[in-house]
Amino acid sequence: MRVAYYPGCVAQESGKELDMATRWVCRALGIELVEFPTFSCCGSGFVDEANEVLNVALNARNLAIAERAGLDLLTVCSTCQGMLSLANVRLGDPKVKARVDGALKPLGIEYRGTTKVKHLLRVLVEDVGLATIRAKVVRPLDGLHVGAFYGCHLLRPADEMGSESGEEPRSFEELLAAVGATPVDYRGRVMCCGFPIQFVKPEVASSIAGRQIDDARSHGADAMATPCPLCHISLDAYQNRAAAAVGHPLSMPVFHLPQVVGLALGASPEELGLARHLVPTGPALAKIRPPARA
Amino acid sequence: MAGETVSATFDVYRFDPARDAQPRYDHYTLDLPRHTPVLSALLKIRGEIDPSLTLRYSCRSAICGSCAMQVNSKSRLACETQIGPEIERHGRIVVEPMRNQPVLRDLVVDQAPFWRQYSKIAPHLILDPRRPMPEGKENPMTPEQVEGFGETPRCIACAACYSACPAVEADPTFPGPMALAKLFRFVVDPRDTAREARLLAIQPGGLWTCLRCHLCTEACPKDVRPSERIRDLKEMAIQLQGANEPGSRHAFGFKENIRERGLLQESKLVRQTSGIAGMVSQLGQGVRIYRKKPEILGRPHRIEGQDEVEKIYAALDDGSEAPK
Repeated sequence: MRVAYYPGCVAQESGKELDMATRWVCRALGIELVEFPTFSCCGSGFVDEANEVLNVALNARNLAIAERAGLDLLTVCSTCQGMLSLANVRLGDPKVKARVDGALKPLGIEYRGTTKVKHLLRVLVEDVGLATIRAKVVRPLDGLHVGAFYGCHLLRPADEMGSESGEEPRSFEELLAAVGATPVDYRGRVMCCGFPIQFVKPEVASSIAGRQIDDARSHGADAMATPCPLCHISLDAYQNRAAAAVGHPLSMPVFHLPQVVGLALGASPEELGLARHLVPTGPALAKIRPPARA
Repeated sequence: MAGETVSATFDVYRFDPARDAQPRYDHYTLDLPRHTPVLSALLKIRGEIDPSLTLRYSCRSAICGSCAMQVNSKSRLACETQIGPEIERHGRIVVEPMRNQPVLRDLVVDQAPFWRQYSKIAPHLILDPRRPMPEGKENPMTPEQVEGFGETPRCIACAACYSACPAVEADPTFPGPMALAKLFRFVVDPRDTAREARLLAIQPGGLWTCLRCHLCTEACPKDVRPSERIRDLKEMAIQLQGANEPGSRHAFGFKENIRERGLLQESKLVRQTSGIAGMVSQLGQGVRIYRKKPEILGRPHRIEGQDEVEKIYAALDDGSEAPK
């Protein structure tokens, strides 16, 4: 399959390991990533707070780029997924649509509203299929207990996002099981990571991140995995602050979603950029049991 | 299917602070039609098994808002949550009191924190004292004006949103979703004369602790969509007084990043939001991250087609809310 690859800002900058892992996994599964250097940032929810119509217009431009190419748009970030989906929803309001069209038409841009926005998680589970992925696993993640951490905007508001569920999704856990890991059930998996207020109210943000990491740990997680690079920043790059906020040390490795899949499909830690994490992933990798000899 | 009977096991939170050192969970298994509301099951347990089970309820029709509690970790009205889907998804039904409010006994919480936040937003019309309402007259609105409220008048003050809110959990000074949804309702009321004062009063710390996680919107039994109305309040607040505190500066700075290059500029944004003092306090953390991710200090490329982005900004955003 061919998709318009929308990496988002973080995967092009501090979260480059997410881009590396995405490319590796898509190559292994025959997903062709068509790139568009014209894509702009999704606004990450912040532009929406400052100017709703501007945010819709910027994303309508992104959606129009994929529409012109006749491709679905692939995201690798829960927030990009949410903001691009939200643009499709808000364009249903005739008043918003009129203002957006008024800004885009003079540029020769027309968006007819047909672009489907799909997160990598959904593409792997629905389009590639778990059976196909299972068949390609060369290194089952046997023995590794993983707490999925979805990221709010992939799920909510469920009616606007067209998500599987606002509070009780299963697809990530099913994917983890398909690559041999043991998913861990915990309340925090659908909670907020604190990222949106990381620079506004750092102590509150860290306390929120710390609670989710503690929750995963107390339910037996050796590692967490997230489909959102912003959650990854909060849970990995700022985990030391989360530890300070909850008042005890934390050492929870946090994977990006395609890193977990890539490991099972045979990618090396180098190919997945695991050395770029702040919290070492080695202890989690050591939990994976070597396959029994036939 | 609807009349099918299921064997449902309930794990019910029990706690009497006057007598118990620790909360415990009591377990009850009942055969019930799968469409049975959780509230009816709890009343059956209380009526037939354990009369000491304490819970709050009244109308049983999702109108009074009394029976909000956690059902399998979701904040819900017990009277409109059926047991069938819960059993199918979780195998059992864990019933706990709402979060973010102290437990008085079993499933009953002290709602005082929730109501205190509500009273702080002055939840009543503030009219111009020079033009009081004529005696015995009404102060009507047009149907179009009423539409501006969105779904906020439907709120039944059940506190499910307050229970679901992770910002309230981490920062009890945050007003919470319901109070802010009500604030929105008064801010957009054309009869109210305190719009600006209300927005100015709420801004410091009030709006920008919202994580826009939308858990409130998911929990709300009346589709009030508090998270979306909080978004509206944020945009109104920025328009009214400019980007003059960390939360609004962050939103504004993010927007201006894209105006310049089409992409986020991570280090520049931190500087814009936190100021020089904030940058200094972030320095140690920045160095830690830089060692693994040197891109944080890089400057992203200008996207191709940035001229289009600039023209979209020119048409829709004048940038007038820049910090003064």
